[in-house]
Amino acid sequence: MSTQSQQQRYRVDPHARFRVMDDEGIFVLQEAGEVLVVNEVGAFIVQQLQAERSVDEVVMAITDRYAVDQDRARADARSLLDALLEAGAISQT
Amino acid sequence: MSALSIEFAGSRYRFAGLNPEQDGLVRSRFQPLLRRDEAKPDVRIDIHFNPNSAAFMRRPLGAVEYPVAVVHGDESIAVAGIGFTANVDRNPFRVQMQTCQSDEWFSAAFENVFRIVACYRLFGEGALVMHSAAFNDGARGFLFCGRSGAGKTTICGLADELELEILSDELNAIRPAGGSFELLAMPFAGEFGGAPRRHPPYPVTGLLGLSQGSAPSVSLCSKAEAVSRIVASCPYVNADPWLVDRLTSRAEELVECLPLRVLTFAKDTRFWSVLDNEYPEPATAVSR
Repeated sequence: MSTQSQQQRYRVDPHARFRVMDDEGIFVLQEAGEVLVVNEVGAFIVQQLQAERSVDEVVMAITDRYAVDQDRARADARSLLDALLEAGAISQT
Repeated sequence: MSALSIEFAGSRYRFAGLNPEQDGLVRSRFQPLLRRDEAKPDVRIDIHFNPNSAAFMRRPLGAVEYPVAVVHGDESIAVAGIGFTANVDRNPFRVQMQTCQSDEWFSAAFENVFRIVACYRLFGEGALVMHSAAFNDGARGFLFCGRSGAGKTTICGLADELELEILSDELNAIRPAGGSFELLAMPFAGEFGGAPRRHPPYPVTGLLGLSQGSAPSVSLCSKAEAVSRIVASCPYVNADPWLVDRLTSRAEELVECLPLRVLTFAKDTRFWSVLDNEYPEPATAVSR
C-alpha cells in the first residue's frame, strides 16, 4: 500500500446513513434502497472514519483495540474499505 | 368526470377526475373497498387526463415489467412511468396524477401510484409497509418480510395448502397498537391475496425473515440484521433521504419489542409445525 493510500481518508457517503446497533453497524444506501450490515470490527472501522482518521490511523486503532498484528489489521481494513467503496457506502474525502 | 373513495388499513383515499373508462377500471379492481359515504378522505388524489401521449413515457410494443422512476424532493416526490406522471406533496399530503391512458395501462399506472401513496400515507400514520407475505390462522398473525426472490409467494402457496388466511404475498403493513403490533392488510399482491376484501387488523404474533433450505427451522438474528431486513423491505420510504432515519429508528423500535426471527423452510408444509411450536401464544410482543 502506498504512503498516499495509507493517509487517505474516507467518509460515510452523503447518500448513505450509518448507525451502530449493539456491536454491529448498518448502512442504509438511500439511492438503491439497500442495506448493509457490518460486524463489530467493521462498525469500529467506520466509526474511526467518522472521526476523520486516515487509513493508517484506523489500522493503529484496530491494533490498539483488538489482538491483531498490523499487517492483518491493514489487510482487513483495506478489504472492508474496498467493499464499502464498491457498494457506495463510503467515499474518499 | 367522477370521483370515488377507497378505504383500507384505516385510511381513506379519494380519487377525483376519473373519466368513465378509468372509473370503471378502478371500481372493478377495488370494488370491495369502495366507500359510498361522503366522509372526509385522509388523502386526496386528483387525476388529470391528458390525451397528448407525447407528454409521457412511451408505451412499449408488448407487456413489460419496469421500475417506476421516483425522485425525492424536500417538498414533494415525483413519480413517472409509462403513460403517467405524479407529484406527491409531502405537506399537506396530497397527490396530482397526470395520464394519457384510459385502458389496462391506466390500471397499471393507477396501481403503481396508489402503492406509493399508500406506503407514504401509512408511514405517516406510524406504520411500516413492507415487501412481505402475511397470513393468519384465526388467532395468530405472521408477517414474513423479504424482497423479491426471498420466498414470499412460495410461503403463501404453502399457507394456502394449509388453508391459512393469506393477506398478501407482496405488501403488508405493521403498526404499533397498545403495546403490541397489528397487521394491516393492503390490496396489493402478486399471486395470493390480490382480490381485495375488508380485513380487520390482526395481532402480530411472529415477525420473520425468510431463508430457503432443506429442513424447517427458526433462528434469531442480531438486531442489526433484523433492522436491515426490515429497512430493506420498506419500499419507497427506504430510498427517501427525508424519511430514512425515521424509518431506521422505527424498525429498531419494532425489533426491540417484537424480535425478528428467520424461518428456514423447504417447499413443503413442515414449516407450519415449526412455527406453531415457536409461537404458541397469540401475541408475543412485549410492551416497552
